[in-house]
Formats: sequence, structure tokens, C-alpha cells
Amino acid sequence: MPSLTLLGQSVVSGLLAGGLYALLALGLSLSWGLLRLVNLSHFALALLGAYLTYQLGHAFHLAPWLAAGLIVPAFFALGVVLHVVFARFRVTEFTSLLVTFGLAVILESLIQWFWTADYRRYETPWASASIRVGPLFVPTLELLACLTAATLAVATWAWLRFTYVGKALRAAAEDPAMAGAFGVNHRAHAFVLSGISAAYAGVAGAFIALISTLAPAQIWAWLGTVFAVVIIGGLGNPVGALLAGFLIGVSESVTMAVAAPAWAPLVSFSILIGLLVLRPERV
Amino acid sequence: MLLEVRRLAIAYGDAPAVWDATLEVDAGEVVSVIGPNGAGKSTLVNTIAGLHRARSGELRFAGLDLGAVAPHLVCRHGIALVPEGRRLFARMSVEENLDIGCYRGEARRARRETLDRVYHLFPILSERRRQAAGSLSGGQQQMAAIGRALMARPRLLLLDEPSLGLAPAVVDHMFEIIRAIHAEGVTILLVEQNVVRALEIADRAYVLEEGRVVAGGAPAVLREQTRIQEAYLGLRDGGGPS
Repeated sequence: MPSLTLLGQSVVSGLLAGGLYALLALGLSLSWGLLRLVNLSHFALALLGAYLTYQLGHAFHLAPWLAAGLIVPAFFALGVVLHVVFARFRVTEFTSLLVTFGLAVILESLIQWFWTADYRRYETPWASASIRVGPLFVPTLELLACLTAATLAVATWAWLRFTYVGKALRAAAEDPAMAGAFGVNHRAHAFVLSGISAAYAGVAGAFIALISTLAPAQIWAWLGTVFAVVIIGGLGNPVGALLAGFLIGVSESVTMAVAAPAWAPLVSFSILIGLLVLRPERV
Repeated sequence: MLLEVRRLAIAYGDAPAVWDATLEVDAGEVVSVIGPNGAGKSTLVNTIAGLHRARSGELRFAGLDLGAVAPHLVCRHGIALVPEGRRLFARMSVEENLDIGCYRGEARRARRETLDRVYHLFPILSERRRQAAGSLSGGQQQMAAIGRALMARPRLLLLDEPSLGLAPAVVDHMFEIIRAIHAEGVTILLVEQNVVRALEIADRAYVLEEGRVVAGGAPAVLREQTRIQEAYLGLRDGGGPS
């Protein structure tokens, strides 16, 4: 049995890792839950955002928050354009899997072509900064990523819950024709939502650049875990995605501490399977 | 004339659902459309509400050509639909469903006032306002669907099978509500399988069979037609039940 300090430290790093999962899960959950599009290229976009943050910092000495300030609006526009294509070709929930898988592979190849398959590390003075809380260490950047995820999740939740556009998006997700009969222009809203989803990938990308080592194949590393987070959190439920991120992050990291790292995916997917057995109506 | 439907044809792909529907609804009237299952009644009202596009024919509302109006803008002109099977947004709360009802323009500005009116008409909806619409009973869901349509402050209310699947006592209540809504000055186009009820409440009625309006007129006149007695009222030779 590991010491209490080790256990405490693993809970902290689990929460922080969960924050990053949630940050990645947010956009995916929104487009899956509200547009009925499973966007596998979301991970590729996030990694592209990470490489761009790295490139802008490395080559142009642009601070990461300024880089994010450029990347996030650009990704919003990219998300809108992507949805124009999806709408034009009448992409459905199932075909979206195929189309966005293809898109992810293309983006991966582009990243590999431009930045090569070598590992890239964005060295910043803040990379090793951390806050000490008693015997525990909290890395500052990961904490910031986690707080950003929480802020975005709560803000998005409030937007969906309290604004007319948010309610219209949820109504149209259930029955687009009926929502349309009451004046909801779902086609127009879908562009905005797709833009927001891609913008969130950009935010996640900026933090990934700062926190982790970059490699093109990283796209696929997140896929399983973040999918589990999206489904456990409930499709289209941002706060659910945040809590599910924490749940998966903590259970993985505690498993790594008490058992072995190899057991971590088993725990997160057991949670997913257990949930699907007990509450199948969630998907 | 508030609503004019002239030789309307509607199809799903190559399958025609309605091919010759002609009817009129005057402001302030209650008009019923009766007919057997699959005659195209729902297709007709859904098309008026903008859910489908007509293939040919004319669809005019208050002089405006509805065929040229984008689907999500039809409601702006004062048409609201209570669809068959209610089609509430099941995961959203009752009040959120009502909010979608007043999504557009003027209706949104009058939200508070209309909401009070709807809750006055259906006190049970006020009690359940925070509950998911999908968790309501059938009758309550029907009330929520009517409430949602009223939130749009329609001039013309399209009611598709409001009594379907409801207990007789609830059906009585539903028709009282329809009368009350009509008394407030809303014009009503009612599609109903319950022919006795539909003729009782209507100023005029039409019979739709196999996608075609085959008869129309005052309920009293329709009730006298032998064919309608046989097909819809279970009567023979104008006498008692067969």
C-alpha cells in the first residue's frame, strides 16, 4: 500500500489530468450531443493547435497566451468552414465517423510532414513551476488548464441552460423539425456550435503544447480515454464532461499508484462499461 | 380568408401523401379535418406548419404565399402546431419547452404574460415546470404541447389528433380547453379521428380520403350524408348504430 502522501499526490495529478481530458472532451461532447456529429478530427485539431502554439513560440517568440489569442479565433472560423462542408454533403452521425477519421489522418500526415515525427518540446520558464500545498505539489500550468476547463464547462452549461440560443440548440438536437416549426434556425446555430467546438480544441491545444511533449501520433493516444469521458459525462453535457474527466483522471492515476500503470485503461473503461450496462439510455 | 389551401399536393420522395387538398379556414372559425388513418391529415397540417414542402398547389396564410417562406419563419406569421404524438423536447423541462414556443420575435417579448395565461389554463404545468417533459403523463404532455404552441401567440392553431391515446375524461377536458382557446379569439384547424367530437366542435369540416378532400361543409350537413354516417359515425340508413 502506498503512503498517504503518494495517494494524495496521485489524486492531485489525477484531477489535473482529468481537467485536460475534460478540455478535450468539451468540444467533442457538444458536437456529438447537439449536432449529432462524432468528430474524430477534434483530437487532430487540438494537436494542430498545440503544434501551432509551439511554432509561434519557437519561431516567432510569441507568448503562448498571445498564440492562443490568434489560434482560438482562427479555429472558430475553421470549425464553421468544417460544418459548411458537413452540411453540404449531408454528413450524418454514422458517416461523420468515417469523414472525420479521414480528416484526422490527413491532419496527422500534414503535422508529420511539417514538423516531422520527432518529439517536440516547447520549453517555457513556467513548465516546471508548481505550487506547494503541504506535502503536495501542484504544477501551475496543469492547474491553469484545469481551471480553464472548469470555467469553459460551467460557462457553456449556463449558455445552453439559460439562453434562448442554448435552449434552441438542445431542442433541435432532440427534434430539429419541431424546433424549426417554432422558429429555430438550426442550420445557422450549427455553424456557431461547430465553431465553438473547434475553438475549444484550440484552447486544449495551447495547453497541450505547454504541458506535454508533442508527437503526431499523440492524436490517437487520447481517443479512447476522451471518448469514455464524453460518454460518461453525457453527450452535450459540458459539466458532465468536466466531472467525468475528473473521475477518469483520478481513477487512472490512483490505479497507477496502487497497482501498475498498465492497469489504468482497464479501470477507466470498466467504469464506462459499467455505466453503459446500468444506464444505457445515456448514449 | 385566413388560410387558403388550393389543390395542394405533398409527397415523400416519390410516394404521394396528399394530392388534391382544397380547403379554407376563416378567421375565428374552428375547422375540423376528418378521415381515415393514412389519408394524409397529418401531412397536410405539418405542411401548413412548414415541416414539409408542398409539391404543387397553393398555400396562403393571410394573403401570404407560405410556399415561399423558409420553414423556420412560418411561425413568425402566426401559425403554431400541436403535432401528432405531442413531440415535446423530452429531455428539457416543461418550462423550457414553453420557452421554445415563444422563441420568435414578438412572442418572446410577451413571454411573461403568455406564460401566465398558459399556466392559468393548465395549472398542472406550473406545478411541473421544472420536471423533464418526457416524464409527464400522456394528458399532461398534450397540455404541454398545446401550451408550447400557445406561447407562440398564434392566430391559427393547428391541432393534430389532440385526443389520441388519452382517457375519455381527459379527452373531455382537452375539448373544453380547445373551446376556451377558441373563445380567446384563436382560429383552430383540428385534425381528429374522433369524428363525433370533431364535428361537435367545428363550425365547418372537411373529409380527407386517400390524399384528397372529398367533402366539406357544415357539420350538420356532413352528418346527413349517408356515406359519412357509414364510414365514420357507425350509422346505417341514417338510423341508430348498426
